[in-house]
Amino acid sequence: MAGDYKFDTLGLHAGQSPDERFGSRAVPIHQTTSYVFEDSEHAAALFNMEIGGHIYSRLSNPTVAVLEQRLAALEGGVAAVAVASGMSALFLTVLALCSAGDHIVSSSQMYGANINLFEHTLSRYGVETTFAKPNDPDGFAAAIRPNTKMIFGEVIGNPGLDIVDVPKIAAIAEQAGVPLVLDATFNTPWLFKPLDHGANIVIHSLTKWIGGHGVAMGGAIIDGGNFDWGQNDRFPTLTSPHYAFQQVNLWEEFGPLAFTMRVRSEGMYNVGPCLSPTNAFHLLQGLETLGLRMERHMSNTQKMLAFLSAHEQIGWVRHPSLDDHPDHDVAKRLMPKGAGSIIACGVKGGREVGRAFIESVELASHLANVGDAKTLVIHPGSTTHSHLTPQAMQNAGLTDDMIRISVGLEDFDDLAADFDRALKIAGKSVGGSK
Amino acid sequence: MKIDVNGAEVFVSTGGRPFDPDGTVLLLIHGSGQTHLTWLLQGRFLANRGWQVLMPDLPAHGLSVGEPLTSIPDMAAWCAQLLKQTGVKRAHVVGHSQGGLVGLELASSQPEVVASLTLVATALSIPVNPALLELAQSREEKAIAAMTDWGHGREGHFHDATMPGLDQMNFTSHVMASNETGALFADLSACASYDGGEDAARSVVCPCLCILAENDRMTPARQGRKMAATLTDAREFVISGAGHMLTVEKPYEVLKGLRGFLPHPA
Repeated sequence: MAGDYKFDTLGLHAGQSPDERFGSRAVPIHQTTSYVFEDSEHAAALFNMEIGGHIYSRLSNPTVAVLEQRLAALEGGVAAVAVASGMSALFLTVLALCSAGDHIVSSSQMYGANINLFEHTLSRYGVETTFAKPNDPDGFAAAIRPNTKMIFGEVIGNPGLDIVDVPKIAAIAEQAGVPLVLDATFNTPWLFKPLDHGANIVIHSLTKWIGGHGVAMGGAIIDGGNFDWGQNDRFPTLTSPHYAFQQVNLWEEFGPLAFTMRVRSEGMYNVGPCLSPTNAFHLLQGLETLGLRMERHMSNTQKMLAFLSAHEQIGWVRHPSLDDHPDHDVAKRLMPKGAGSIIACGVKGGREVGRAFIESVELASHLANVGDAKTLVIHPGSTTHSHLTPQAMQNAGLTDDMIRISVGLEDFDDLAADFDRALKIAGKSVGGSK
Repeated sequence: MKIDVNGAEVFVSTGGRPFDPDGTVLLLIHGSGQTHLTWLLQGRFLANRGWQVLMPDLPAHGLSVGEPLTSIPDMAAWCAQLLKQTGVKRAHVVGHSQGGLVGLELASSQPEVVASLTLVATALSIPVNPALLELAQSREEKAIAAMTDWGHGREGHFHDATMPGLDQMNFTSHVMASNETGALFADLSACASYDGGEDAARSVVCPCLCILAENDRMTPARQGRKMAATLTDAREFVISGAGHMLTVEKPYEVLKGLRGFLPHPA
């Protein structure tokens, strides 16, 4: 990549020049649906994607564009499109690449809604998915077919914390002429930038660490611009005449931006999961301190791992930083600053003791989110992943006693005291292990 | 469209519109290590306003195959051949950086085919630092990084863009990386060895426009002014706040300069 400002500087400044009229230092919230055209020619040129600019906030918005450009800069992409949620980011990515009769290869260890989107929703529209274990590159290779249009995985799987060996899977994808799409929500670009390791498209739930404060939903698609869509006729949505825009061939006229232009010109036009300008503003406030927060997330995670591993009422602890994690070596190689601030663990005594623990914490919050500045706890089997079939739960590595902890930024001494107290209460209340 | 020029299949963007060689033809020539995507935010606009646009990828660049051309006169001869094969008798030529040198040489050597000449971020000569030349040969990715860095002004380095979501620095470097290995070295070598700019400029008879970027670190604006003074019939159009990659950094302003100079298409 080009010589550039460093991560924390980009997190504060990328994508924005103070506006010339008022000099606003913070990113202004352009709370508007639409934009006045200079004249008819200007309007026509914007509608035909001949020049840059804004038409209607379902398609783009100046505040949202700052967020998009900042994310592209941090991930090393050629462009980004911000959307309403991480799930809509995944759906628009599939929409841009796949049609009925096409095929996806995906990691089997993922967030429940991702699995259900592939297995139950897309299959109704003729897009089939084959699942492979995230730490089984040969399984990914074997699943690729001539009609495979993308390989997908979560860099750090939710909630099992399996790690995709990105360089290995990227090499397999490149050999097969298929783009590698990765959800990088749990790692954030501060821990690991997939595009630097061969991935082609990155998606995020911005709601999590990037926003970081649990105040705004959002998602993003970052285009690496590093995939040769024209190497054969496998990607007609990008290399054949577009049904609109005077039948433009996106690959010929936009080159590395072809995928982004398809997302913008179809996903945002025809589906329209746009991000509100105010949410973009909130997410930008989070992004400005991502580097600082991630340092604290990771140091607190290390302390929490030591605390849990030593606690007599914890049966098992799972995190890629631990030596006994099956992907420990991969995590160490790819993410030397740490493998995220989610910890999975099991409380001795099983599900009921775990439930009592979750209900007994006072500082940590029992809710369905991760990546907040505050520490969060949940039982995935009965909540975030409860819509999976028993088999899918087993495939996703979910056990009945699993508790997911999203380690926050509190003073760790307070967190340790809260967890210790809640574990003791839980153990006594249901007669669990002492 | 893809056509055969001198035995190699090359890609020529027509801005997504059918091409009519009898219309008002614009030949837009990219610079060192670039492709037709230099004109991303001008080419389709002009093509949809009646101009007949030819934006080639030089051999070994972008979607074109073949061996890279190794001198500015060879590139000018190649452009003349492209015009001939597409049935164009006379074109308004627009060149960015190295493409401007090619335009100068074409207008000087074959004045009958050049109706006007627009030189975007160009100078009479484009000397190349030997260290950059060496990098382009031995570690091309480092040369691309350096050129992307030097080529962009403030807004580029702040990753700000008029096109929503675009990261122009990363876009530029990926466009450059899409060329065949060796293309950048051939281009830079051609620029470094070209010393015919001043003579060519003195012999150009068509009207010229010099679009200069105020913050250009690769072909400084003062060199552009010297070029304008050497040309017989030239006007200047200076874009403030722009670096060398002004077609992406300041696309509207470049369009404004072009439209103020080029004849409206018939």
